[in-house]
Order: sequence, then structure tokens, then C-alpha cells
Amino acid sequence: MTFVFGGDQIASRVSGVVVGAFHYPFFMIRNTFVELSRVNQENQRLQQELVEFSTRFSRFEEMERENVRLRAILGFDPPAGYSLVPAKVISIAGDLVPTAAIINCGLNDSVEVDQPLINEQGLIGRVVTVASDVATVQLLTDPAHRVAVRIANSRDMGIAKFKPSQGMILDNVPVQANIKEGDLVVSSGLGGIYPPGLVVGTVVSVSRSEEEPFCDVHLETAADFNSLEELFILGMDEP
Amino acid sequence: MRVIPYILFLLLVGMHVVFLRDVTSIYGVSPDLPILIVLLVALYKNDTVATWFGFAVGLVAFAALPERFGWYALLMAAVAFAACQVRERLNLESLKAKLLLVAGGVLLHGILIQLIDTAGSLAALWTLVPAVTVYTTVIAWLFFLFKEGTITFEKTKSIF
Repeated sequence: MTFVFGGDQIASRVSGVVVGAFHYPFFMIRNTFVELSRVNQENQRLQQELVEFSTRFSRFEEMERENVRLRAILGFDPPAGYSLVPAKVISIAGDLVPTAAIINCGLNDSVEVDQPLINEQGLIGRVVTVASDVATVQLLTDPAHRVAVRIANSRDMGIAKFKPSQGMILDNVPVQANIKEGDLVVSSGLGGIYPPGLVVGTVVSVSRSEEEPFCDVHLETAADFNSLEELFILGMDEP
Repeated sequence: MRVIPYILFLLLVGMHVVFLRDVTSIYGVSPDLPILIVLLVALYKNDTVATWFGFAVGLVAFAALPERFGWYALLMAAVAFAACQVRERLNLESLKAKLLLVAGGVLLHGILIQLIDTAGSLAALWTLVPAVTVYTTVIAWLFFLFKEGTITFEKTKSIF
């Protein structure tokens, strides 16, 4: 439009002045909004990523804990004549203390009623019912459960049972039995369900009374029943 | 001549060019706010003011095209001058007459822009230009309704 402004250079200058005066302020405003919108979008994306990474991190932490547990289980040998079938706890029942657990193995895994369950800490319980893919386990902490046990050192025998008011106790131990705090208690093998030598717990207190024929023995279970996860079913090896 | 309102109008045109056009766009059709402002000034002011203001609006609206913006400014000034001449010769007291002038001015401006613009396509003459004319006329109609008091803020608020 040279005939209006006399030349391209003048036209460019006029254009620059007009743009600077009437367009530039609004460019700044628009760019500010565009930048705010971009920052907002980036913020949302980063928040989403944070949640995603946080979830992933929690999963890794859980895997790390599982790894530690599984490493502890490695090198854990079953009793002679038995093989280990791994199982995972999928549900726990019980009010104050867990009394039963459901595991993810059943008839399809050749699980049978009365098979014992252990973990790397000690005896857990026995299978009481079996479905095709799951089985119910009666835990040592079920008040109706009894285990024939023996003091590992003295070989004195007794019956381990759980009383909600007292915890795990040892019944039928005569006062003259050689038993003291810290003694290891293992299954005796009597009763036919549990093989001998499975760790049940340790003696935490022994009290004797001259009027009573039996000791009052309290045990601490070897297994932590509040954090059951990976278990092993003890399957009898084929002869 | 009070200059400040005209500078504000020019700023409004600048705002329209930078982002208002995109914000008000419906399916790619935006109102032609620069020519609407020029025509409104032509309706209420004398031909000298309208012509110079039209030229200034043309410069602001097409400042991003320095090689052609003089032509556009002259075109805008010509449309403003023509609108003033029409207004002086015809009775434009009624709303319909004013709307007709606005619609005619926007349509004429749109057609001439498409003819001048080397990148413009002829198809836009019967697709984009009529749509822009209708959109701009609707805005002008709302403006006139407000100006004549048919629509007021109080009435609008009472609806809600």
C-alpha cells in the first residue's frame, strides 16, 4: 500500500506502531491465559503422574517386603516324608484373634482335609474343609483346636490349646515336669494329624501349685497369626 | 471531538483481532466486529469522523498485513463514508432500517475483502461471508435493543 504510506518501510513502521499500541497488550493478556492454561494442564498431568508413581512405589515396597519374606522361606525344609505345597491366605476369620483362614488351594491342588499348614515360623493349623479352588484352615488360635505337643528338651508332653482369656496354654503338664521359661514346644506327632517336630511356640511362663497336679504353662506361638500371608501345606510324600 | 471513546473502540478492535475473534467463533464463523463498530459510528456521527475512524479501524484490524493494510484501511473508510451517505439520504430511524444498513455494510465489506485478499477463495462469498453477516447483524440487533432500552440490565436480571 505504498501510495498511502509512501513506501514499504514506512508501511512496516506504521504497522509496527499500530501492532505495538493496539495488539501487543492483548497478545500479552492472551499469552498469560494460554500460559496459565498450559501450567494448569501440566499441573493436572503431574498430579496424575504423582498418583501413578505413588501407587507404583507402594507396589514396589510391597514386592520388596514379599521378597524379604520369600527369602526367609527359602532354605526352609519340610519334615522328612513330607512335601510343601505353597498357598496364599485370601481371607481371615475371627473377632479378636484370627481363628480360621481361607487359602487359595483346594481339591484341584490335591489338598485334603486334616493336612497341616506351616510357615517359616512354625505350625499354623490344619485344613478342615476343601472346595475345588479354596480350603478353610483351622488355626492354632481357634479355641476348639488342640495340638499334642512335647517340650523339645525335656520331652515332657502336653496339649497346646488357645483360650481367648489366657492366650496359648499348655495343658496336662505334670508339676514334676522339667519345664522352664524359654523352652521350645514342638508337636509330638501323637494324634495322627501333625507330624512330630513342628515348632508350636516357646514357654513364656510356668507356675506350679502344690495343690494342683498340673502346671500352669503359658506359651507364645511361634507364628504371628495377625500377619499370615504365605503358607505351606504339608503333603505326605508318595511311598 | 472526544478522542478517548474512539481509542477505546480501537483497543476493542485490537482485542478482537488478537483473541476475541477466536473466543466468539462458532464453527469457524466470527462476527466482523471492526466493520460493525465502523458502521455504528457512521450511524451516529458525521461522515468526516466516520471516514477517519474507518481508516483507523482498518489500520488496526489489518496491522499484521503491512503490505496490504493500507488497502484494507481505505476500504473500511470507504464503507464508513458510504454508510454515512446512505444514512443521510434515507430514513434510518427504524430498527429494521438500521439492521439493514449494518447487514448491507458487513456483506459489502466481506465481499470486497474476499475479492482483495489474494488468499481468499470465491467459495467464501456464499459460505463464510453470509454467515459472518448474519452473526454480526445479530450482535448489532442486540446492541440496538440495548441502546433503545428494549433490553435493559434490570429486565435481563428479572428473568433470572
